[in-house]
Amino acid sequence: MERAERVPQPAPPNGRRLAPLLSLLFPGAGHIYAGRQERGLWIAVTAATLLTLLWWLKFWSLLPALVPFWLWNAWETRTIVQGRRPSTVKLVLSAAIIVYAIGWRVTEIDVQRLAAGAQKIRPFVVSLVRPYYVDREVTYAAFPAPVQVPCGEEPSPPPAGAGSGPTIVPTPACASVGETITVRGEGFPPNVEGELWWENPIGDRVRLRSGGEFVTFVADEQGTFEVKVTVPDVVPRQFQESAQLHTVEARYVRDVGPWRLTETSYLVAQRMGETIAQALMATTWGAIFAVPLSFFAARNLMQFHPLALLVYYLARTALNVLRAIEPLIMAIVFVVWVGLGPFAGVLALTMHSIAALGKLYSEAIESIDPGPIEAITATGANRVQVVWYAVLPQVLPPFVAFTVYRWDINVRMSTIIGFVGGGGIGFLLQQWIRLTDFRSASAAIWAIALVVTVLDFFSRKVRERFV
Amino acid sequence: MLEVRKLTKVYDDGTVALKEVSFTVPDGEFLVIIGLSGSGKSTLLRCINRLIEPTSGQILWDGVDITAAGQEELRRIRRQIGMIFQQFNLVKRHTVLTNVLTGRLGYTSTWRSLLGLWSREDRARAMRNLELVGIADKAHNRADELSGGQQQRVGIARALMQEPKLLLADEPVASLDPATSHSVMKYIEWMNRERGLTVLCSLHFLSLARRYGTRIIALRAGELVFDGRPEEIDDRRFKEIYGDEAIEVEIR
Repeated sequence: MERAERVPQPAPPNGRRLAPLLSLLFPGAGHIYAGRQERGLWIAVTAATLLTLLWWLKFWSLLPALVPFWLWNAWETRTIVQGRRPSTVKLVLSAAIIVYAIGWRVTEIDVQRLAAGAQKIRPFVVSLVRPYYVDREVTYAAFPAPVQVPCGEEPSPPPAGAGSGPTIVPTPACASVGETITVRGEGFPPNVEGELWWENPIGDRVRLRSGGEFVTFVADEQGTFEVKVTVPDVVPRQFQESAQLHTVEARYVRDVGPWRLTETSYLVAQRMGETIAQALMATTWGAIFAVPLSFFAARNLMQFHPLALLVYYLARTALNVLRAIEPLIMAIVFVVWVGLGPFAGVLALTMHSIAALGKLYSEAIESIDPGPIEAITATGANRVQVVWYAVLPQVLPPFVAFTVYRWDINVRMSTIIGFVGGGGIGFLLQQWIRLTDFRSASAAIWAIALVVTVLDFFSRKVRERFV
Repeated sequence: MLEVRKLTKVYDDGTVALKEVSFTVPDGEFLVIIGLSGSGKSTLLRCINRLIEPTSGQILWDGVDITAAGQEELRRIRRQIGMIFQQFNLVKRHTVLTNVLTGRLGYTSTWRSLLGLWSREDRARAMRNLELVGIADKAHNRADELSGGQQQRVGIARALMQEPKLLLADEPVASLDPATSHSVMKYIEWMNRERGLTVLCSLHFLSLARRYGTRIIALRAGELVFDGRPEEIDDRRFKEIYGDEAIEVEIR
């Protein structure tokens, strides 16, 4: 058919001019006129489909992208009436332009947004370089000083005597609500950062703000700082009439003691272990079920009888159907079935491993050298003996390689399975991301990366050894 | 005595590999089958132990119809027919000894063979046969560590394990160099002369066929075109078998 088409057909007497014009009017029309009905029909259908798509999606601005296809089809018609062979590749490429233009629009690709949104994930990226594995014990140090509100007859008490530790001095020592006072600190640890708090006569505490932002201080090299604060409106009702003593307080947090592993580290280690164990269970059970299935799904072993061939088709179909279901979906089903936790994840991964390994195993069986099978059969061995002595030795290395590799894959998959409640580290990761505890999430992510890398190295070593 | 009657094989894709081939092989003969690639030599040999199921025709061996045998009977027949192959068909990852021992599978129960519990006599027999073909020192090497000629000798030892009455050799030396070819052919000749085995051997080179065969049959496109003594193949016969374009090359 294709061969016959290549033979140039004589153009109709007046076709040489008319055919390209017809194609320009509507793609493919000229082809049909020039006797290339099949090609013309394909082109016409393509053009109609593309136009319909544009109309349906209201993407009229993309019409210019159709021009190359339109023009090329007309040019091609000219080639055909001249008796030369048209280039299908160029035709398809010209049609691809519009397809890609539509695809770009439909998927809302927006490079500008990619750049503009980058800063939104800053907290996460910053946390990535600071995984929350270790921290130190902290102490809270607070240094108070009295402030009279408002200024009145009673004399301001003398400022606290300058001792050895840090002190703060508010100036002036009295003010009304809404007025600004200066707080000066001395004797603080160099470069320490801290917060300022306010306590009213009945012991209510607020953290001081300035224009909505919390007031903070940073001590200089000498351990001194100066901050302006506004007296907050926290005067209790019963004291509205008289002047009272309030307290302004400088606080800072200091790391003391040795570095120690965080709770996060313990959790990550525990759940990572759970994930590895999950993958191990799923791979083992998957392999145990996949091995016998794969022999039934190997065509070269099942051709001896029509009934065996039927079993082959059944096994193959079962594997394909099972493989088509994403493990994530299986996990959701098993979470309902056996409840939240690692067991559901194991079941989901097992089902997927059976399908994936079964297919890989059966393909390994199908690609073995038939020679030894022939030779062993010729000695009078029965079918079981043939499989044991001629098939197994040949498929064992690929089986081992595939299985170890599957374990590796299952570790990666079980992190995702955890997101839907299938246990393992994914469960924690998902929680931390939702709590915006990005430093803990980062700890989990690095742990996954480490384990996957180590397993990958290990599985490669095993595969190299066995092939 | 082996009797092939009107043996025909048509493959599923419609290829006619054998067309009503008939011949008789008396016990103790060294029958060489010659012919071009694709002329049906391999199919013919494989029909005899039914590695390939014939489409029609009969194969009688000492009066027993092989083509009519059931699965169990067929296995009993197969274990008396040794076979060696162009590609040796050893299990590469197994040791030479295990490869030789597989020749006894037809005589060993399934569970014993799955556990690798070969009998003492079988092990002794395997070592004897390896000594016979001169590679006893390689018994514990992996089969794929051996050279081509050595691998074919393992194949011969494996066939000897069956204590066969008939040997099918499918182009046993086509993958070997000339010198090695002769050493392998001499082992086959020895089995024929000293052990009294009937040999059916397909060969590419007419010179080898003339040197070792006591009788030659020739296939062309699945049909028997010659059946006679080696010296009867003259220039005219040669062209009949191999076509007008062919030139005879010698292997010494």
